[in-house]
Amino acid sequence: MMKLLNRIPALIWPRFHQKRDEHLNPYYTFQDYGQTWGMTIFILMSTALLPLIVMTLIYYQLIETSINTESLLRTERLASNARRAVTFFLEERLAALTFTANEMGYDRLSDSDRLTEVLQNLKLGFGGLTDLSVIADTGTQVTYAGPFNLEGKDYSNQPWFMECQQHNACVSEVFSGYRGVPHVVVAVKSMRPDGRFYVLRATLETERLIQALSSFKTGEHADIFLVNRDGLLQTPSQFYGGDDHHVNLTLPAYSDRTKAVMSTDRSGQPVAIGYAFIDTEIAPTAFILMVVKQKAGMMKVWLDLRSRINWLFAISAIIIIIVIILTSTVLVNKIFQADRQKAETMAMAERNSQLASIGQLAAGVAHEINNPLALINETAGYVKDLFMIKQQYKEDTELVEHIDTILDAVERCGTITRQLLGFARHFDVQTQPINLEDMVADVINFHKKEAEYRNITIHVDIPETIPLIETDRGKLQQIVLNLVNNAFQAISNGCFLDIQAAMDGPEHVRLSIRDNGCGISEAHLNKIFEPFFTTKKEGQGTGLGLSITYGLVQKLHGNIRVESKAEEGTTFVVTLPVQLKKEIQS
Amino acid sequence: MKHADILIVDDERRYADMLARRLRLRGLTCKVCYDGQTAIDIIALEKFPMVILDLRLPDLYGTEVLTRIKAHRPETAVIILTGHGTEKDQEQCMARGAHSFMNKPLDIDLLMTIMDLIKETSA
Repeated sequence: MMKLLNRIPALIWPRFHQKRDEHLNPYYTFQDYGQTWGMTIFILMSTALLPLIVMTLIYYQLIETSINTESLLRTERLASNARRAVTFFLEERLAALTFTANEMGYDRLSDSDRLTEVLQNLKLGFGGLTDLSVIADTGTQVTYAGPFNLEGKDYSNQPWFMECQQHNACVSEVFSGYRGVPHVVVAVKSMRPDGRFYVLRATLETERLIQALSSFKTGEHADIFLVNRDGLLQTPSQFYGGDDHHVNLTLPAYSDRTKAVMSTDRSGQPVAIGYAFIDTEIAPTAFILMVVKQKAGMMKVWLDLRSRINWLFAISAIIIIIVIILTSTVLVNKIFQADRQKAETMAMAERNSQLASIGQLAAGVAHEINNPLALINETAGYVKDLFMIKQQYKEDTELVEHIDTILDAVERCGTITRQLLGFARHFDVQTQPINLEDMVADVINFHKKEAEYRNITIHVDIPETIPLIETDRGKLQQIVLNLVNNAFQAISNGCFLDIQAAMDGPEHVRLSIRDNGCGISEAHLNKIFEPFFTTKKEGQGTGLGLSITYGLVQKLHGNIRVESKAEEGTTFVVTLPVQLKKEIQS
Repeated sequence: MKHADILIVDDERRYADMLARRLRLRGLTCKVCYDGQTAIDIIALEKFPMVILDLRLPDLYGTEVLTRIKAHRPETAVIILTGHGTEKDQEQCMARGAHSFMNKPLDIDLLMTIMDLIKETSA
């Protein structure tokens, strides 16, 4: 479990961000893997998330529009129902008054007892009436039935009386009048036999109207009330009653139909307003019915839905992002690894061909130089012979020394040409089974004395599971000897040398020779297998040891690589086929 | 007439002559020839205890000359002296009866030691 957790950063934070080997740089297909990774993620994210975002926004828009439409419709329907109720309430009473006036006539109605009787009957039939009175065309109240004694009052200046004169019937606004109680007056005009008119007037309890309206009220955030055309409240409003009983909403423009609009209230909250201008069949009124619904209340469903949509969006987005990052990382990592492998192969191929051509060149040069070298050798030798054997200049030691210098130089050149030829030539390879452990022990034996003397610890770890290797004994011995020699030259007294072997797959064996000596600087690391490359002082090394080793490993169909850090030590790793013949055939 | 001690076979004339001079200084009698066929012809007529033979000759390959010499005069010790001898060459020459195999540039003292050895064994 912990292992898995530890791997997560590596999954998300890709490997190509780690520092890579500089010498492979020219061989990479993409130079900036971080950028490739970033671009992949960006493109995938845009293509995956953009439609999701657009869809969500469209969905938001659609839902909001449909909720607006829906709430407008509902408000309108509510207003329409309420309008019908109010209209019916008023028409019913106007019709009753008209019927009474026509049926009874002025004479009977002006009889106080009869009028009281009619009031009783109307109260029984319809309810909601406070009193009933007959007013003459002069505006003077003739008869009155009801709780207040208002007989003889003059109504000629009352607006409802004037309106009634014009329209044959009227419905007043809510007012307090002489009695000091809010009420609505409905009145009808009728003709007396003598051609004069009289008005039958009834007072309606506003309480009944308020009750009728509030029965339409639904939900906490809805308000329903009547106002007159100046905005004065006719029935109480739960939320929108301002100072001096005016409604604090903008009044809608006149319409003969029930309508609903979206608007805002004084505090800026969005509201749906349904309204209707109330007119009865018999008389027009000053009432405007208003239904106000706060949008916030209707939005609750939408808000719930939106939070669900938000969650869905967030979770999908997170999943998409994680999947995209993981996929991109894995893919770019795969590409990077393949590319790196390719780069390594190409770098190695280039180095191999470089080494091969250097080898051929070197061999050619060595070949051509060897003959004149041999001639110099014999000629100088002959001169020396003349001195030594003929006794002519035997005493002239200086001359003899000069000749010896020439001969020494020739000998050194001879050694170099021989080694160079050895580096390039393809010798026959003779295979035989070899026990690696014994071979390494043999080689170590050469150095035993030196190791003791220099206090160098040699540690050999060759497991018994390593099988016998079928390869060329002489060449393998030379390889191990060269590498051990090399290590001995690199380490100072008291250091260690570690020789290990392990299987590398079923068909290859890997031999590592590690020292903790002076190491090889990075600048030199690529050149160490080139002929004549040496860091030793002039005359102390030919620079051919490792290139010969390289050539030998190639002949054994193996490969050799080196890992080194300056001042920390060097490891040479030689990988060889267990069965050379099989490898050659394949 | 006394036969020469050594026949030197090498296509590089100056080299062969110079080597002959050095050997003469050391009291040996030498004959020199510069190609394989001449060498074979000389061997057919004369008997040499030792032959110094180069492998790269203009007409015949040294190993061929070696085979012919050994066929005609098996007692002759043939010392191969070559500039570009490989291990393979060495093996082949030894298999065909060469006495020893030396690389140029030559160590004259080593050659003298070998010759002394040959003289001792043949004596």
